[in-house]
Formats: sequence, C-alpha cells, structure tokens
Amino acid sequence: MDFYYGLAQIVGVHTLLGLSAYVVLLTGQVSLAQAGFFAVGAYTAGMLTVLAGWHIAPALGASALCGAATACAVGFPALRVKGLMLVIATLAFGEGVRLVFFNFDYQIAKGGIKVGPLGGEGFRQIRFFPENGWTTFDVMLFIWLFVIAAMAALWWFDRSRYGAVLRAVGEDELAAQSVGVNLTAVKVSAMTVGGAIAGVGGGLYAHYTTHIEHSSFNVLVATFAIAYPIVGGLSNVFGTLAAVIFVQAFLVEGLRDLGDWRNLLFGALIVAAMNLRPHGFFGRRH
Amino acid sequence: MLDFAQVVLDGLLFGATYALIGIGFTLVFGVMHKLNLSYAAASIGGAYCGLLVLQVMAGAPAWLVFLCGFLAGGVLGYVVYLACFHFIPFSSPLATLMSTVGMLLLIDEIIVHATEGRPLNYPAMFDDVMLRAGELSLRGDLLLVFAVAVLCMAALLLVLYKTKLGIATRAVSQQPMAAQLCGIRIGRVNALTFVVTGLLGGIAGALIGASVGTLSPLLTLPLTVKGLIVTVIGGLGSIPGAIIAGLLVGGFENVFQLYRGVTERDLYVMLLLFVFLVFRPGGIFSPQSGRH
Amino acid sequence: MLELRAVSRHFGGVRAIDGLDLRVAEGEIVGLIGPNGSGKSTAVNVIAGLFPVTSGEVLFKGQNLERLPTHRRLQLGIARTFQNIRLFGQLSVWQNLWVAQNSPEDRARRGFFARWLGGQRGARGEIAQLLEFSGLAGKQDELAANLAFGEQRRLELARALATKPKLLLLDEPAAGMNSEEIGQLRERIQRLRGRGITIVLVEHVMELVMGVTDRIAVLNFGQKIAEGTPAQIQNDPLVKKAYLGGA
Repeated sequence: MDFYYGLAQIVGVHTLLGLSAYVVLLTGQVSLAQAGFFAVGAYTAGMLTVLAGWHIAPALGASALCGAATACAVGFPALRVKGLMLVIATLAFGEGVRLVFFNFDYQIAKGGIKVGPLGGEGFRQIRFFPENGWTTFDVMLFIWLFVIAAMAALWWFDRSRYGAVLRAVGEDELAAQSVGVNLTAVKVSAMTVGGAIAGVGGGLYAHYTTHIEHSSFNVLVATFAIAYPIVGGLSNVFGTLAAVIFVQAFLVEGLRDLGDWRNLLFGALIVAAMNLRPHGFFGRRH
Repeated sequence: MLDFAQVVLDGLLFGATYALIGIGFTLVFGVMHKLNLSYAAASIGGAYCGLLVLQVMAGAPAWLVFLCGFLAGGVLGYVVYLACFHFIPFSSPLATLMSTVGMLLLIDEIIVHATEGRPLNYPAMFDDVMLRAGELSLRGDLLLVFAVAVLCMAALLLVLYKTKLGIATRAVSQQPMAAQLCGIRIGRVNALTFVVTGLLGGIAGALIGASVGTLSPLLTLPLTVKGLIVTVIGGLGSIPGAIIAGLLVGGFENVFQLYRGVTERDLYVMLLLFVFLVFRPGGIFSPQSGRH
Repeated sequence: MLELRAVSRHFGGVRAIDGLDLRVAEGEIVGLIGPNGSGKSTAVNVIAGLFPVTSGEVLFKGQNLERLPTHRRLQLGIARTFQNIRLFGQLSVWQNLWVAQNSPEDRARRGFFARWLGGQRGARGEIAQLLEFSGLAGKQDELAANLAFGEQRRLELARALATKPKLLLLDEPAAGMNSEEIGQLRERIQRLRGRGITIVLVEHVMELVMGVTDRIAVLNFGQKIAEGTPAQIQNDPLVKKAYLGGA
C-alpha cells in the first residue's frame, strides 16, 4: 500500500507544479521558470524546518511567500520579452536558480553533525516527517490537502471575472488593453500566483524526498511543469491533473517493467501526443 | 594579463561552435517562427553518429568521422522536421514546442541506450600542434574548429544570398503567404532549412567532441541552454548576431572560468544573458526578417 | 472634447498622418473618410494610444494624452472598436462584455466593500441591457468565435460600450454589412448619441457616413484635405479628385 501512497505523493506535488504553470499559461506566457520557484520553495521550507526548527505548516507558508516574491520579481522583466523569447528567458532564469543552489552552502551544527545545504551535494536530512512520526499515508493526505486547495482556488478563478480577464489577455493582448485591462497587473499577478503554488509544491517535495539537490530542479523539471497543462489542455484544472496522473502513474510507474526503455518511450509519446492532439487531451473550452 | 588574453583567445576559438548552434536555433526561428528545443541534442546525436565510422572502419581518419557527423546531422534535422513540424498545425505553437521537448528527451535517451551511458572518446585533429602568435599560443585543434566553423558559416551565407534556395528561404521567412503565392513550396523550404541547420549542428557537435576530447549525453542540456543564450543575445532571427554572440559567449565563459572557477562559471554566463535582456532585449541585432 | 493639434505619426519614412488638426465637440458625431492608406486607422490608433505621436498633441477634455497607455485612456473614457474584429473568441459573449467593464465606476463597484452592497448585481444588469441593445439577448453563453459575422460585429460594439465610454472611436464598423444591417447600425449610433456619447466614425461606406454624421473630415495621404457637413463634402471637388484618382 505504501507504494501507492508514495505514488500519490508524487502525483500531488507534480500537480502543484503543473498548476503553477497553468495559471501563467492562461495569460499567454509560456514560463519555464516554475522549476526555479519550486526550488526556492524547497530550499526555504527545508532550511526553516531543519535549521530553524519550524513546524512544516508555517514553513510552507514561507515557501509560498518566497515563491511568490521571486515570481513577482521575475514577472516584471518578463513583460519586456514576448513569445518565444520569454520561453528562453524563463528557461535561463530557472537554470540560474539551479546554479545558485549549486553554489549555495549554509550549514550549521546540530547535535554533533552538520546540516544544511552544501552546494553540489545538496541538502540532505530534511527529516521533519519521519522525526515527527508522520506515516506515508499522513504525508500523502497532507500533500493532497494543498493540491485540492490549489485546484479549488484555480477552479474558482476560472469562473470569476479574474479568470476571464486572464484568458482574454492570453488570447489577445491588444484587444484586452483596448477595453481597459491593465496588462502589467494581470500578467505579473498570474506569475505571482504561479510562484506561490510552485513554492508550496517545492516545500512539500523537499520534505517527502528528504534530500534535494540542484539537479532536482533542472530544465527537464521545468519542461515537465509546462508539459502537464499543455498536454492536459487549458480548459480547466482537471486537464492538468489528468496529465500528471497519466504521465506519472501510467508512464513512469506502469511501464516500470520496460525498465530503461520507459524514458525513451516517454519522449516518443510526447511527440506522438502533440502530433495527434495538438490542443491537449481536454482540448478547447466547451 | 597574459593569462587573460590567452583564455579569451581560446574562448573565442571554441565559441565558434556556440555560434553554429546559435545559428541553427535562430535560422529555424527566422524561417518558421518556432523554436526547435531539440536542436542541440540532435547536433550531439549527429556527432555520435560520426563515431559509427569507427565501428565500420577502425582507425579511420578523424576528418571522416567529422564528415559523417556532418551528414548525420542533416539526416537528423530532416527527421526532427517530420516529427515535430511537418504535421502539427501552425496554429498550435505550444504543441510544436512540446513536441521538440519530447524529441530532446527521445534523442537523449537513445544516446544513453546506445552507449550504455558511458562517455566516448572523440578523435581530434592537430591536437598536438601548437602555434605561436607573439606571447600567445594557439591550440591546433581549436584553430581547426574555428576554421571549419567559419567555413560553414561562409557557405551558409553564400547559400542564403546567392542561391535560389537561399532566396526562397528568406522570402518564406519574411512573407510566407506571399511566398506561397509566388509558387515557392513552403514545405520544401522548411524541410531544407532543417536539413541545412542539421548539417551545421552535426559539424558543431563533432567539433565540440573533437576539442573536448569526449562525448557524453550530459552535454546536451548545457549546450541547449548555451545555444539559446547565444541566440537571444544575438537577436532571434539574426545570423550575424548569432555569430558574434557565439564568440562572445565562448570568450566570456572562459574568462568567468578563469576568475571564478568552473562551478560558478555558468552562473555568470546566465547573468550576462540577463544583462542583455534588461538593456537590450532585442539582442545585438534586431531580427533580419521583419516578420513582426 | 477631443482635439488633435498638428499631429503627425511617421513610420520610418512613411508619413501615415502629417500635421493633422481635428476638433470634435462633445456630443458630435464626426466622420473620418478618405481613400485607402490615407491615415484614418492610424489616426484612431494614435488617439487610442496604440502608437505615440511623432509630433503634435492629442488632447482629451483639455488634457494632453501623451504617454498615457491605452488602458488608462480607456479609464478617461476613450473606447474603440477594431476594423478586423478582435473579440475574445474562446470566451463567451457574456465574458467578453464582463471583461470590458473597466470604467472607474465599475472598478469602484468591484472594490471590497461595494461588493457586499449589491455591486455585482448592478454590473450584471448592465451586461443584460447591453445584450438587449445589441440584439444578442439569449446568446450570452455562446462562444464569441461561434457567432455569425453580423453578431460578432454587434458584440464588438457592445464590448466597447461596456467600458462606459465618453468618446467612441468606430473603425469601419459597417464593412461587410448589407443595407438592412447598415440601417440598424445607423439607428444604434443615433441612440448612442442620445445617451451623450461623442463618436468619431472612420468609414468607407458612404451610406452610413453621410446619413449619421454632423461633420466629416476627409484625409488623403495623411493630411486633411477637406472638412464640412456631409452636403458640403459631397460637392467638394478636391474630395472627388482624391477618391476618383488623379492625386
């Protein structure tokens, strides 16, 4: 049973990653920076629970804030680059964050051993869950609490005026401006919301894997983040969830028997999927 | 000071390979207004294919390996075109982008499988030659890399400006509708663009293998990122921009390494990119094709 | 209400508009006509804030609009429609109008406290009225992209009205319409004047322009070559020359 709980944990955290890209994608910005915000959240939460002894809940709150703040800071310069340039710029940002953590050391002694992030070796011993007696089941529920909250919030956005404004901006910026929409406010706010969600996801990730390092937040993770909403379709949040389940549960785990070949299959499947269903599995609205 | 100059020189010479990769990204963008994220991976893939020559003919000369890499790159370019660009409708840019990502993963994995994850040695030419220019030394193999890269760039510019294909390509990049109406077969032009950039990528991959001495699948992601940085700094769609930016990045990279070491080097290259994005988002040259 | 003083807009070597003077009084309906390429759409774009002026000033109620971005001009009361309709195709008719409620009045209504005091109901009611006015009642959940061409044009106008404009710039609203539709459009424009909206109408379709405007300005090669009542313009030899050639 533990295996399935573990799988559910992975699906949950990846859904948060996908949702963070989803909200930004609605405004027409293809952002490969979400892995960077995810990393910021991961290291923040990890450092707070391990080095400062915080409880996981406020640590995640801090992750969300740090993720949001970083995203907000990225959101403004991002306005100056359009289309594919933005893809490259955000990819570079994500890589930049990874490189920062690659060079980041901050260790303190705790009970005779040194804990904390150590550059290339990463950040080990993030043991809040095991040290406090949380079972795999408990952790899974905890993660899904946040996933459901995020999905509910975004679902509600989608039905609100804000959601319509986001999509209007994504569809036609010129027309949106001409009816009075403040593009800057909309695009930066979407980026900030995405950053908050990614931050929480990262914080949760750090704690269930107990060991994070710079390579956990590389270009591939960044592309997974946008792959989910693209493959799932931008109609609603369930598309992203479905894509995560499909990718993680069926592909990665279900094809486990195929051993090393499943990564190969994964790439081939994406190529095939995009050729067959260019608008994603849950296609256009209505 | 001498160290600095030497390091800059070596960097500039090696930067010619980045220039080629940058050209590949920027040319596809200029003609099809799309980004092919699998390009650097395909280039390395082409270089790997070059090694097949050694399987068939042990002890084959290095230049034959390079040539094979060159040609394999072109073939791979066509394959990528078919898989990611030919069938996906123009109105789905996200789908195209994702399919190139899928292609990147696929090529990476094929390489890992074929080589069982072990890095392979790559033949070099003139690596024992060392020329002197005053106080500075010029590595023979780097000089070759630079010379071949320059030759390819010159050939490309010749094709673009002096041949019918080149003119057709430039026409398509500026006004695809009008070009079609004039009888230019867009599908053909696009496919050939991929083949040409594939050829450039293949030789770039081979040259990188030659100067570094080994090839490993770990090269693909950093090369993708660097190639994109070069493309952006040079200006999306501008070939002269990509050339200059490639040399620039090569030079700066080495300088950063000299002063801050290997682990921090890439971070500073990233900072270089951000400086450009803040002060000159259009890149060194604004795009050749006025498609905006 | 609106004043253009010696406004020029150059694109590289091309002088899209050159030294244009135009005054529009409150409550007027002014037509802007001219052959293709005469600068009519550029004038609209400059007033709406899409391009900055190369020289000259654009004044709205005495205030110089220089540097004000488009969405801020909207809040001052300047709205426009697009020649090639630019609806949010993937949004419903209702959402297209909803998204456009950005006037200062509507923004205040969305403020934290106003919301609890029945603000939302007001906004909803206004959208319903707009749908009624544009003959789109009952179509509110239809995707904008699925509407018939005529309906899309009406939605484009309705959306501009949702912003509660004081000045409305209509960019060739009658293009592609048949006589009956043009008649309906004319009626709608007159009703808008009745509500106190000032209108600048850029148009090719003479039937509409001559029938609904108070004054007409004629552009050719970016410059104003004539201005007057519809009757005066119809008989102006310069205008005839511009349209029929020999320029």
